[in-house]
Amino acid sequence: MNTFKANNQRCGRIAEWFYKAVNSRLGLEAAWVQKHISQCPRCQRRLASLGRLNLAFSLIKSQPHNIDLLMRANSRAISVLKHSLRYSIKAEKLKKIKPEPTMLDKFSKYQSTLVNTAACIAILLLMKTGFVNSARKVEDQSRSILKNYYARQVGQDMADEIFDA
Amino acid sequence: MTSRANSYSLAWDFVVPESLTGTQKWVLSAMKSHGEGLVNMLWRILANEEDVCDAYQDTFLKLAHYQGGRKPENVKAYLFRSASNTAISMLRRRHSERKFRTNIGAKQKDIRSPWQELDSKQLQERLREGIAQLPDALREIIILRDLAELSYEQVGKMLGISAATARVYRCKAVRQLAVWLQKESNNEYV
Repeated sequence: MNTFKANNQRCGRIAEWFYKAVNSRLGLEAAWVQKHISQCPRCQRRLASLGRLNLAFSLIKSQPHNIDLLMRANSRAISVLKHSLRYSIKAEKLKKIKPEPTMLDKFSKYQSTLVNTAACIAILLLMKTGFVNSARKVEDQSRSILKNYYARQVGQDMADEIFDA
Repeated sequence: MTSRANSYSLAWDFVVPESLTGTQKWVLSAMKSHGEGLVNMLWRILANEEDVCDAYQDTFLKLAHYQGGRKPENVKAYLFRSASNTAISMLRRRHSERKFRTNIGAKQKDIRSPWQELDSKQLQERLREGIAQLPDALREIIILRDLAELSYEQVGKMLGISAATARVYRCKAVRQLAVWLQKESNNEYV
């Protein structure tokens, strides 16, 4: 059973990867597809109609309803349920329920602060692990290699002038 | 609608014995877990709060009466499919009524200028009309995936198909809807 589950998960992962790979080569982002569309009026029409469809879906999704709609719908639905349900505590709570924002909505206002904090923490960690020092060492070494190269090609004086300026 | 529902509820209280159905508290649990999603989906299909309440009430009434008060195997699937069917029936009725009124009325073609094409309400209504005309299998996918915003895995589970099949059906539905919208806008300017 576990083997079956593991195989299934792997299969799902591969399918996802395959879908992404195919999409990047055959999807709208692919360069050859964009080139073709720019020259083919039929594809342009198709793309325009798909765009219109997407716009219509976005418009439908962006229309808000009144915040008490859930409350009213629940009250109406509860009123036709049987007596024991209609007057239960749970039903009373449902009659007053309001739509709750998701975790993502709740924390969206802190998004930029969180990103900045994460960036700071990442820089501190890199400094602590010596990554910044190693990067500086690599930079110094490559600088001296370049200086040696120039010294051989144009002479030591010229190289000093270029690199120590 | 409300009076019909009230008479249903009275009959329900007397006819179905409590022992047969249990307490049916799961109906309220289902309302708590899926109510918000259902309301959002119905609102996107119907765009009218009174109609949303009617369809929502009908859906839970059907759930409570399902096979003599038994709990369906997949409550979420039952609720979403039943709600979408109810909403689509209401939408179709609304469209046919509107058509009838237009025919009875001035009998002249609704002339729309290109700037009206950008009118969001018309575009939304046309999309709803298109969704109502899709074949059942494609319509359910579009509603569950695009209006109820469920994942392909969830949609597949609800409809008893694989996620990949759901993806293929949605692709077909999107193509049909795009063609429908194109045809409709072309007809307007003829």
